[in-house]
Amino acid sequence: MIRYRKLTEETVKQLLLLGLVGLVLLPIFWMISISLRSEEYVFSGHLLWTGPIHWDGYKKALWDIPFFDWLANSLRIGVLQTLGQLFIGACAAFAFAYYRFPGRDILFLFVLMTMMIPMQVTLVPTYLIVNQMNALNTFSGVIVPHLASGFVIFLLRQSFLTLPKELAEAATIDGCGPLRVMWNVYVRLSGTILWTLGVLSFLSNFNEFNWPLLVLTDSEKMPLPLAFQYFRSETQMEWGATMALATLSMIPVLILYLIAQRYIVDGFAQSGVKG
Amino acid sequence: MIKLFTGSRWKAIGLPFVFLAPALALYAIFFIYPFAFTFILSFQHWDMIGPDKPFVGWDNYVSLNRDEVFWKSLKNTFLYMFMTMPLSLIIGFLLALILESLMRGRAFYRFVFYLPVVSSIVVISILWSMMYDQQHGIVNELLSVFGIEGPNWLSQSSTSLWAVAIVGIWKSFGYEMLLYISGLKAIDKGLYEAASIDGAGRLRKLVHLTLPLLSPITLFIVIMGMISSFQNFALIKIMTGGGPNNSSNVLVYQLYQEAFQFFSIGKAAAISILLFLIVLAITVVQLKISRKLVHY
Repeated sequence: MIRYRKLTEETVKQLLLLGLVGLVLLPIFWMISISLRSEEYVFSGHLLWTGPIHWDGYKKALWDIPFFDWLANSLRIGVLQTLGQLFIGACAAFAFAYYRFPGRDILFLFVLMTMMIPMQVTLVPTYLIVNQMNALNTFSGVIVPHLASGFVIFLLRQSFLTLPKELAEAATIDGCGPLRVMWNVYVRLSGTILWTLGVLSFLSNFNEFNWPLLVLTDSEKMPLPLAFQYFRSETQMEWGATMALATLSMIPVLILYLIAQRYIVDGFAQSGVKG
Repeated sequence: MIKLFTGSRWKAIGLPFVFLAPALALYAIFFIYPFAFTFILSFQHWDMIGPDKPFVGWDNYVSLNRDEVFWKSLKNTFLYMFMTMPLSLIIGFLLALILESLMRGRAFYRFVFYLPVVSSIVVISILWSMMYDQQHGIVNELLSVFGIEGPNWLSQSSTSLWAVAIVGIWKSFGYEMLLYISGLKAIDKGLYEAASIDGAGRLRKLVHLTLPLLSPITLFIVIMGMISSFQNFALIKIMTGGGPNNSSNVLVYQLYQEAFQFFSIGKAAAISILLFLIVLAITVVQLKISRKLVHY
């Protein structure tokens, strides 16, 4: 009897969730569908799921614009920025977790605060500083201002705190300097959270829009998210090519997410995200 | 100086600051200094082109006070937050509960529901703008199946902010779900068994065990969710441009317009400072309230 009730409950839940899956994926299916239609077909009032397959959108997205160059730009910004954020974050988190020093708690509170203040608050002066450093229209102008990430420091510190201090002490007695304690003990033992943060930071850096939009003006240096304007004018938009570009630019994200997704939940669980 | 920093003293105080140095240096240059700069700029008139930055006192703030667009943006910022944050949190929480009680398919659902979170905001904004298209968009196409003639969602004052908010919810509930899942996983299962033995039903366990135990995560989600809803820039920029008639304008977008379209930097800086004060106030109030409600 109980078994029976459990099974019905499971079925109801499954149906409900599948319905929601449909809703969540609908935009994505639609995007792919449009990317495969001709312009005339899209505007002819047919149901858009069906109709003849048409690869023109993809041809335009790949060859009418320097797609691969822009993808490379995005990857470069994403990878460099993420590595920098992890390195600087690990150093800071190590200091917060391992040492006791005057001003520690206030400094940590400050780091939390940087997480809470919208980056738009300091947008204009940061832009001016980058301009003064002659770094407008360069990759370092995009990357460097956001290398210290409160999110990374915060989560790494939480995770470092869960490691027993005895390990670090043992390493010190064995003659490890602080740098090696950080690297061999703290960083090596935090694989999951580092991967998680790496993936999440990479995705958000790869997808970042607001800041690159301001800093980069040369079309050669553009990252992928800025490429869409090429299929869009004031009055009109090329639907097929735009959706093909959208589909293409989701592929790298999707691959990375597929590889890393099992880390993401564990990483959050391990770090004990708390206020 | 050298004597001060030798031996154990150096180890205790100097070393941690060596590790902190890169982060602190970056924060000093790209956070503290710009912040102070913004504060000063908010009392000046400047067009970003000329060198003159005359001090004008409270002028920028006064002009904001008289500015209809500002009040609209402010109202919309809060409206957007109340449209997206609670719904996204509730959906995320319920999904986490359901997923954790499932017998099969957890990984699949988790994967799908988190997909919008990792997707590019630009791709999503463009995709949804097309979906909302009055004539060729899927939204109205589906509505017409039920005999409803849909409006032009994004270019109509009465619907534009809602249309953007729906996308905001669609994009964010997976994040909340994931945080709640990680919270649920961390709860000691023995507590539930003990409660069962004491005769507690499902609802009682939910209200007296699960909710209090998850309250730190809820606090984290509420604070971060409110703040991130205040930063909603790309959706507005790409989908509506704040329009029509500023019906979907929000503070961060107005700030951008003032600075990079109208070049009135002083006014933009004043918006920044007000935005900061609002975020600060919200955070402080929430932390105060949470002292009473959150159980660690």
